[in-house]
Amino acid sequence: MRITRRDTAALAFAALMAGPMRGHAATPGLMVRSDGQPQSLDPHQVFDVPMMGYSLNAYDGLYRYQDNPAVLRPWLAESHTASADGLDWEFKLRAGVKFHDGTALTADDVVYSFRRVLALGKAPASAFLPILKPDSITAPDAQTVRFKLERAYGPFLAAIPIVAIVNAKLVQANVKDGDHGAAWLSSNEAGSGAYAFVAGSLTPAERLDLQRFAGHFMGWADNPSPVERVAMRTARETSTGVLGLMNGSIDWTDSYLPTDQVEQIQSSRAARVEKHSSLRTFIIRMNNARAPFNNANYRRAMAHAFNYDGFITEILKGYADRNTGPMPNPLWGAPKDAAGYSYDLDKARAFVKAAQAEGVNTRQPIRIHIQSQLEQTNQAAQLFQSDLQSIGINLRIVADTWANIVTATAKPETSPDMWIHWVSTYFVDPENWVGQMYDSRFHGTWKASSFYKNPEVDALLGRARDLVRQEERAPLYEQATRKIMEDCADIWVYNTVELRGVSNRLSNYRFCPAGGGAELRWLQLKG
Amino acid sequence: MLVFRKFLRDIPAVIGAAIVLLVVFLAIFGPWIAPYPQDASASHLLRRLRPPSLDFPFGTDNLGRDIFSRVILGARGALKVSLVVVGLAMAIGVPLGLIAGYNRGWLSEAIMRVTDVFLALPQLILALALAQLMGPSVESAMLALSLTYWPFFTRIVHAETARLRNALFVDALQGIGAGTPRILFLHILPNALSPIIVRATIGLGFTILVAAVLGFLGMGATPPDPDWGLAVAQSRTYLPNAWWFATFPGLAILLAVLGFNLLGDGLRDLVDPRLRRSR
Amino acid sequence: MAGFVLRRMLLVLPSLFGLLVVTFLLIRTIPADPAVALAGDNATPAQIAAIRESYGLDQPLPVQFLRYLRGVARLDFGESQYSGRPVALDIAQRLPATLELTFAALVIAIGLGIPLGVVAAMHHNRWPDFLLRIGSVAGIAVAAFWLAIMLQMLFAMKLGWLPLRGQLSAGLTPPAGPTGFLLTDCLLAGRFDLFLDAARHLVLPAVTLSLGGLATITRFTRAGVLDTLQKDFVTYERAVGFPRGRLIWVYVLRNSVVATVTQIGLLFGGLMAGAVVVESIYDWPGIGSYTVQAILTADSKVMLAVTLLIGLIYAAVNILTDVVHALIDPRLRESR
Repeated sequence: MRITRRDTAALAFAALMAGPMRGHAATPGLMVRSDGQPQSLDPHQVFDVPMMGYSLNAYDGLYRYQDNPAVLRPWLAESHTASADGLDWEFKLRAGVKFHDGTALTADDVVYSFRRVLALGKAPASAFLPILKPDSITAPDAQTVRFKLERAYGPFLAAIPIVAIVNAKLVQANVKDGDHGAAWLSSNEAGSGAYAFVAGSLTPAERLDLQRFAGHFMGWADNPSPVERVAMRTARETSTGVLGLMNGSIDWTDSYLPTDQVEQIQSSRAARVEKHSSLRTFIIRMNNARAPFNNANYRRAMAHAFNYDGFITEILKGYADRNTGPMPNPLWGAPKDAAGYSYDLDKARAFVKAAQAEGVNTRQPIRIHIQSQLEQTNQAAQLFQSDLQSIGINLRIVADTWANIVTATAKPETSPDMWIHWVSTYFVDPENWVGQMYDSRFHGTWKASSFYKNPEVDALLGRARDLVRQEERAPLYEQATRKIMEDCADIWVYNTVELRGVSNRLSNYRFCPAGGGAELRWLQLKG
Repeated sequence: MLVFRKFLRDIPAVIGAAIVLLVVFLAIFGPWIAPYPQDASASHLLRRLRPPSLDFPFGTDNLGRDIFSRVILGARGALKVSLVVVGLAMAIGVPLGLIAGYNRGWLSEAIMRVTDVFLALPQLILALALAQLMGPSVESAMLALSLTYWPFFTRIVHAETARLRNALFVDALQGIGAGTPRILFLHILPNALSPIIVRATIGLGFTILVAAVLGFLGMGATPPDPDWGLAVAQSRTYLPNAWWFATFPGLAILLAVLGFNLLGDGLRDLVDPRLRRSR
Repeated sequence: MAGFVLRRMLLVLPSLFGLLVVTFLLIRTIPADPAVALAGDNATPAQIAAIRESYGLDQPLPVQFLRYLRGVARLDFGESQYSGRPVALDIAQRLPATLELTFAALVIAIGLGIPLGVVAAMHHNRWPDFLLRIGSVAGIAVAAFWLAIMLQMLFAMKLGWLPLRGQLSAGLTPPAGPTGFLLTDCLLAGRFDLFLDAARHLVLPAVTLSLGGLATITRFTRAGVLDTLQKDFVTYERAVGFPRGRLIWVYVLRNSVVATVTQIGLLFGGLMAGAVVVESIYDWPGIGSYTVQAILTADSKVMLAVTLLIGLIYAAVNILTDVVHALIDPRLRESR
């Protein structure tokens, strides 16, 4: 009797352990993503990197950024026209586009989507709220959408891809207490994208499945072996995703791989690292509104004390491009002639002296806030700490979280002395960088947390915002950028090389700085 | 002396005492023992992630620092946190327990109900939330842990005091007109000391463990502290190749906590008469 | 008996109210401002203020507390400030995963802990006892987050025997109910392939979580058995030559297990807390990983709800333990 029971236990144990030896025989047609899903599935409530990883696949926009450098391509729209003063815009829609439920996509859906974004007033709305009223978006016929802007807005077309077009009838059928369907859409989908959300597959922040939509308007003729099903399985830590990539249970990680993982992944036969120069800048922020950072020479001393090359070559193993200014180098509007600041401790000491001569107390310890989840911010701070020590400045490192820091940046008094973050591409326009980072009208948002104030720069940026033509806007941004760099508002470190771990089952990866290569329609899957 | 000899026969407890002595020794003399004491903060980008060797017995970490040195240097922080937390928790918990145990009225009832509330709070979650509230740092972690650990002392002292309250010597003291604080602190407290010491010893180990969890989740120690929990968290990026980076700081936590717990158990066996009988 | 249970439950109410007040005060004052996070990357200050108002974050604390109480009474914990979803819904979706994990850990702890405790007691103060004592203390002393990583490295990466993370392989679709407990649902649906896959995913998290409890149960069983061995009836049975194995494994154990039962009740609360760390390392889709995410994003409503939930479970288990005790020992019913 006892022996039998033991045998049963042993058998059960053997059955548990004896699964396929090397972890996981990959399921045909299935790819597993470990990068996180968005906070909510409603593309009009959230707009960040994880949302783009979802909405670029489940939804379509009027225009779409593709390839690197990013090109703005007509997508749901076939073409557009704009009046000379930049106030009237008309978009012609492609015919025969169907939503996932089979309903035809018409101009009414586009009008509803833009109005919904304005009404909800959340993240994607910020680009449009100052210039667009709900009534000025109209649909004269089923294939035409008209926008009448309050005033000219340079980045308007660049921001158009932000708005995902939702199925108006479907969303309206699920409105509750006048919430514009917000509750429903945050765990459902009403799009027309190349991949459709699988109903019932959602556990928020954990799992989510997408299924290929055969009826997508772009067709699938250009892809002989597309991914049939996408399983999004959030790995809380990038490192777990990498481990999964190496044992074959995950096919696709996030694009913030620490560079130390690169060699590890390259050496495994199962996966590779996709490396692409992006538009995502790494910045050490300084609180210009507070002593000692309200002194330009002190700020210049700091900028000369960061070991840019050491950081990029040793810690990042060269997977980043030195970016001396606030604008990503490849973007228009970045001045090509501005040299910026180099690592030079003698110059740093000289600027410290200059600052002391102007009455700055350089003995006071300063604090830098890092994001404890993101190891690179910590590495940069520690490197900075040891160099500052040698020029007599005492830097304290404070571990912090994104949520805390962002709250603190609401006011100059609570905003940290210094902190470290990236600025990703939300739309490909200088407005996404210098415009929102150094125009004092944005003080109180995390992007403008250096509290830099220069009336001349404000004026330049304001004028550039009100113009439509890139040739006219570019010199204004260049001029503003030069001034900001001269004032040394922040310490600009590098422009990112995005690193994403991808299983060798996947090929034809096409990267774009907007969305970080998360558009899956191109991917070819073997096995 | 008899007690001491009895303790020496308890091999696990002796091992525990030896470990505790080692941790205390490292905490005091760490900077003089560690082969690379400057590695508490300095970084050496050119010798990152070296496997264990004669030069670096535990290998080096992501910033080229000697892990052996940092494990040794981490002892001081771990011990400091646990001593402060247990000290604070005792400072809050013991007087409350004395008052609640000696008193019979609503005050006792009120103290014990509040204690119950705090006991029902999930300690780790509350500590995490508090650390978030005050901004992640060692100080806020210590405060958070103290605020959640004192009820254990209140409970023990309350039970002991309630038992001793009716003892003959307390009656006698009251009879000769001794003041309540005098009775509580000079006469009852010494009699309740053994369970407090046992609890405190185990509490020291437990606190090292919870502080490590906070460090691991980014809510405790901050870089470049040579904190053990923080080191394990940082090591995850370099797995599976740099296995030594994760392994040794974790072993240090295990060893230190093990030492305090073994010692605490041994002490409990010594002072608990019920267990004494069972030997 | 019913009166006793009722009285115990009434006694818990003030404590629960206290729990609500304390957690609300502590967590509600967290400076991180969810409105800023909600407004998103490109928000203007005016947008942030509008969002703050719409979530009632601009009201004075007492008003917010009363509003919260009213919600809790209707099992409405508000919406997560991070995802905008109702917290109660998220908890309902995630609680089964945590309960399943906790239960599995408990089974491991009891199934191994009691026999180990008996073995230790039988070899009292000899090497097996020392080793088991050190081992069981080590089980309490080991940092779960570290052990989890080590187990992942060994069993998922080096040996490739067990899955690295998650609750089910990505290619498999879990059955749609009816209970929400994955293993149970797989069995009810007759899907043994799914059951086996889910069980394999459960092994590492459950083992990691069980260690602390395993150690505690071993220790208490050992102490209980040692205590019982001193009792007169054991001496008597021994004297009349009763078989030793049967004596210990049946009679002594039955008499010693009371203290252990109490511990099992208390352990449950500890396991729920341990799940916070274990779940977030193994990406287990339960309450624990939900809590960590809420803390990192300063999502106060979620933190409140989870703290309350665990406090409730703790209180319920305490009542249950008292009731079990009262059933075993009728004297307790009078004294309370």
